[in-house]
Amino acid sequence: MTGPAEQPRELLPVATGPRTRAAVRELIGPHRALGLAAALTMTAATAVGLLTQPLLGHIVDQVAERRPVGALTVPVLLIAAVAFAHGIGTALGLSLFSRLGETALAGLRERFLERALRLPLARIERAGSGDLTARVTADVTTVAQAVRNALPELVRSLLAIVLTLGALAVLDWRFLLAALIAVPVQAHTARWYVGRAVPLYAEQRVVTGAQQQQLLDTIGGASTVRAFRIEDRHAARVAERSGVAVGVTKRGIRLLLSFYARLHIAEYAGLAAVLVTGFLLVRGGSVSIGTATAAALYFHSLFNPVNAALVLMDDAQAAQAGLARLIGVADLEPDADDAESVGRRATPVPGAAVTVSGLGYAYQPGRPVLHGLDLTLAPGERVALVGASGAGKTTLAKLIAGIHPPTTGAVTVVGDVGLVTQEVHVFAGPLAEDLLLARPDASGPELLAALERVGARAWAEALPEGLATVVGEGGHRLTATQAQQLALARLVLADPPVAVLDEATAEAGSAGARSLERAAERALEGRTALIVAHRLSQARSADRIVVMDGGRVVETGTHDELSTAGGVYAELWAAWSLSRALSH
Amino acid sequence: MRGSGPTGRSVLGGMVRGHWRKLLVGAVLGAGHQAGEALVPVLIGVIIDRAVDGGDGASLVRWLCVLAAVYLGLSFSFRWGAKAREDAALDAGHELRLRLVGRVLHPGGGAERGHLPGALTSIATEDTRRVGSVANALVLGVSVLAGLLVGAVMLLRISLTLGLLVLVGTPLLLWLGHLLSKPLERHSAAEQERAAHASGVAADLVAGLRVLKGIGAVPAAVARYRRGSRAALAATLRSTRAEAWQTGLTTALTGVFIAVVALIGGRLGVQGEISLGELVSAVGLALFLLGPLAGLAWINAELAQGRASAARVAAVLAAPPAIPGGAPPAGPPPTGHVLRLRGVAGEGLRHLDLETTPGEVLGVALTDPGHATELLRWLGREADPPSGAAELDGVPLTRLDPAALRATVLVAAHDADLFGGTVEANVAAGAPDGADLAPALAAAGADEMVRSLPRGLATPVGERGRSLSGGQRQRLALARALAADPPVLVLHDPTTAIDAVTEARIAAGLRALRGGRPDRTTLLITTSPALLAVSDRVVLIDEGRTVDAAPHHVLVERHPAYREAVLS
Repeated sequence: MTGPAEQPRELLPVATGPRTRAAVRELIGPHRALGLAAALTMTAATAVGLLTQPLLGHIVDQVAERRPVGALTVPVLLIAAVAFAHGIGTALGLSLFSRLGETALAGLRERFLERALRLPLARIERAGSGDLTARVTADVTTVAQAVRNALPELVRSLLAIVLTLGALAVLDWRFLLAALIAVPVQAHTARWYVGRAVPLYAEQRVVTGAQQQQLLDTIGGASTVRAFRIEDRHAARVAERSGVAVGVTKRGIRLLLSFYARLHIAEYAGLAAVLVTGFLLVRGGSVSIGTATAAALYFHSLFNPVNAALVLMDDAQAAQAGLARLIGVADLEPDADDAESVGRRATPVPGAAVTVSGLGYAYQPGRPVLHGLDLTLAPGERVALVGASGAGKTTLAKLIAGIHPPTTGAVTVVGDVGLVTQEVHVFAGPLAEDLLLARPDASGPELLAALERVGARAWAEALPEGLATVVGEGGHRLTATQAQQLALARLVLADPPVAVLDEATAEAGSAGARSLERAAERALEGRTALIVAHRLSQARSADRIVVMDGGRVVETGTHDELSTAGGVYAELWAAWSLSRALSH
Repeated sequence: MRGSGPTGRSVLGGMVRGHWRKLLVGAVLGAGHQAGEALVPVLIGVIIDRAVDGGDGASLVRWLCVLAAVYLGLSFSFRWGAKAREDAALDAGHELRLRLVGRVLHPGGGAERGHLPGALTSIATEDTRRVGSVANALVLGVSVLAGLLVGAVMLLRISLTLGLLVLVGTPLLLWLGHLLSKPLERHSAAEQERAAHASGVAADLVAGLRVLKGIGAVPAAVARYRRGSRAALAATLRSTRAEAWQTGLTTALTGVFIAVVALIGGRLGVQGEISLGELVSAVGLALFLLGPLAGLAWINAELAQGRASAARVAAVLAAPPAIPGGAPPAGPPPTGHVLRLRGVAGEGLRHLDLETTPGEVLGVALTDPGHATELLRWLGREADPPSGAAELDGVPLTRLDPAALRATVLVAAHDADLFGGTVEANVAAGAPDGADLAPALAAAGADEMVRSLPRGLATPVGERGRSLSGGQRQRLALARALAADPPVLVLHDPTTAIDAVTEARIAAGLRALRGGRPDRTTLLITTSPALLAVSDRVVLIDEGRTVDAAPHHVLVERHPAYREAVLS
């Protein structure tokens, strides 16, 4: 068997920085008006909110000048009015903003998933299935959380910072200059932090992943660990991985804490400068004590947004990395090196359902596993592929099913091909929904008929809620045999003229295998079928047997012909029936 | 009854006791930090009052120095206090994680009951981390209360009226905000669940991609995902709108509160009851106090989550073992290694008798393959049979320590897990140090396959062996069991994913490696004729009862049920 372990990893692409930004613009493009409205509303709301400090300063002036109590009424009412305007504006702005972000996000995830599902399997196998799974789970979640939580907060913080600085300038331009004293410290701190945090967080992701994997390994395989009495070794491995992860996390926290310590310096420098400026300006008579108060309050209110913005840079960075990985896949040409478009242009042999001519295939250049193979299947014919492990049966089956494009030669199939492999997956959700994937317009009776045909109707109807029972991940657990029957029922519903079956009965245990063989036979009725036979009983009932060895066809013929021909098949059959000889 | 085991409360209590030094340091320094933060607005007021108002330069310098000292103190306290509490949280999580894994791996088993492996892993990572975070939240809670106290004292010193107004007003404000947002929160939790569901659907479709491609169902899957995604978007938009209005509401309420404080403070100032600086301090403190109070709400939520996590961790730690412990071995260890079952019954098996003879390869054919799993669990003492007697050399298995039993009897499941690491590390997992693996690999039909791997024995197998095919995994698992060379080896269907020719090779290899050694007994629980044919005898179990024990060819002749189960 040619395991994927032999192939070098070639991860799926990651979009470049400029391409990521362009893709974001494309996603937002159709909602330009919404974006503009959101930006304007948020800016207006923040600006209105900044009127509070000068109004408080005005009250301070009234007090300093010992004005009558009545003079306070107007500024106090204005503060309340500003509060309502600020609140309503913020609510509207945030709503518009998240509508924009969420709509763009939904567009992105839909495009991503569509491209991901249309990727040629060969491409996904080269990358390792973990790559795509990580993108569809971790990266989508990271980007979604950034859009939902970090981005609105970041926008609000940045707006608050910019507009507050503007407001300081309106009070007196020298206040702005004083406040900007903090900026070099903050900018330097931010650069210092990002430079260290990015590699550290990358390391943290790696060691946390390793810890997670070790726990999955150890906990998932607990009964094996106990059977081999290697509990101590596994406990030590978990301790080591967890210890490393904790160590890296601690380093991250230390970094974050010294980052904050530096921000405290910036805070103090800026605040002192604003207070000194206020002192000098009040003494020089160019501003009132109320204005100096407003300036100090402005600066004090900058602490939170500045800290928030600097910390949110982290999330933004993680989101950008995730986004680049999503867009990398979303940008892939769906049909690039897809088998469906390559190697299918050969002229079919008249009257044949499947024509294979001069077919060669190599997972790695220079190490072919199939050599110039020729084969035709007549319509309705049932052909069994037989051979030892590593003979190339599974590879041939994949090429005929269109999973891999041929390296040389061609495969021509008249109509669709259905493929059922040993890899069974039960889709999470109601059982009926799972079946409907194969034929979305199937009626209830049609679903039941398909289940009946593969011997699954009885147990399916006996489920707690019948076909509405939620199965798959997190739902009702089906046995290996039931899952395999479901796969065959899908094949019946998809109803392709040509079907390829590969190891479809292997994991069900010997007795289960025999009942599945019968189900497979019924599912294949009326189809041209290629069966990768791991049990020779499957071969014996086929119309024709093709024996492979070393990537070549070495014998073809019926069971009766081959079992007495003294060739490879005869030897296989002897090994298989040695133990059965007495009963036949 | 789980009475004596740890509870969520005792898990949390143990954590606090185990890390009290760091927690104390964290709390003291954290309180210092919060107090410093409360002093900043007060000092702004003082500087406006004493220096800016009067144009007093010396006073300005003096008070700026005080402010610098406060900053130094709060920065120092924050940095080292936060380090102490974060370290305590991480260490506590780590310790709890190891304790949990220790419990899961305990020879008595039972911890996995009722949990999928994924859920148990998430308890070992997420829940242990959250329990650790309780340390963080507790220390922060103490710090925040200290900050509130300092703020309150400052305010009351400025003016009783103003102090009471702020102290009553801020909690009232937060309570009001909480009250108004409660229905929104409930709403939003449900909406977020739907959004999370959509991402689960995507992962599920990708996991089943081969199946989708195999039946041409990709367009149907894309259409289904798009519908789910749009529904999730609508739900998310409803919830974000609700959240936006909640934020807006809080903003407006805070502003109104500030207006009230300014009105009362201004009046007091005009009437000369408080100074200008005190007015500024009061407004600054009112704004500051909202932070710690909101922090308290966050800490509360964190503690609730931590309690729930602690309960989940405790439930695993307190899970009763699947089997009673058994006494430590008394006297010399048994030597003959005769395994005997007498009238064993339970879970669909009605009456099981079998007895091995030393050095035998014994086949066990069950006409209902579902019964095999239970039999395996009993033989490996993952569970004990409800009735009947299972004995090793005349000693009931229930009286043997499970770990000691497994040193003699190795039960290898047909879907046994491989572990991350190299092929060699996997095969050698149960073997004595430095053992020669070649005979086991050859007998398991894995020698050629290993040679064909890019780096031979040094090839990494990936997470749980996923980078290998099913047949490759099964052969390595078999080689591992053979390399362990236990006195009694129980193999369950070791060749289900393996082709006929290789299976025949394996049968012969097994026979050659294990057969004919008086100190080695092998049980083959299978319906594979190739394996049963190389057994010395086969025990036939039909309808849950032992009906016969004889060589394969004899059973084939005698029993139609055997022929039906074993030969197609």
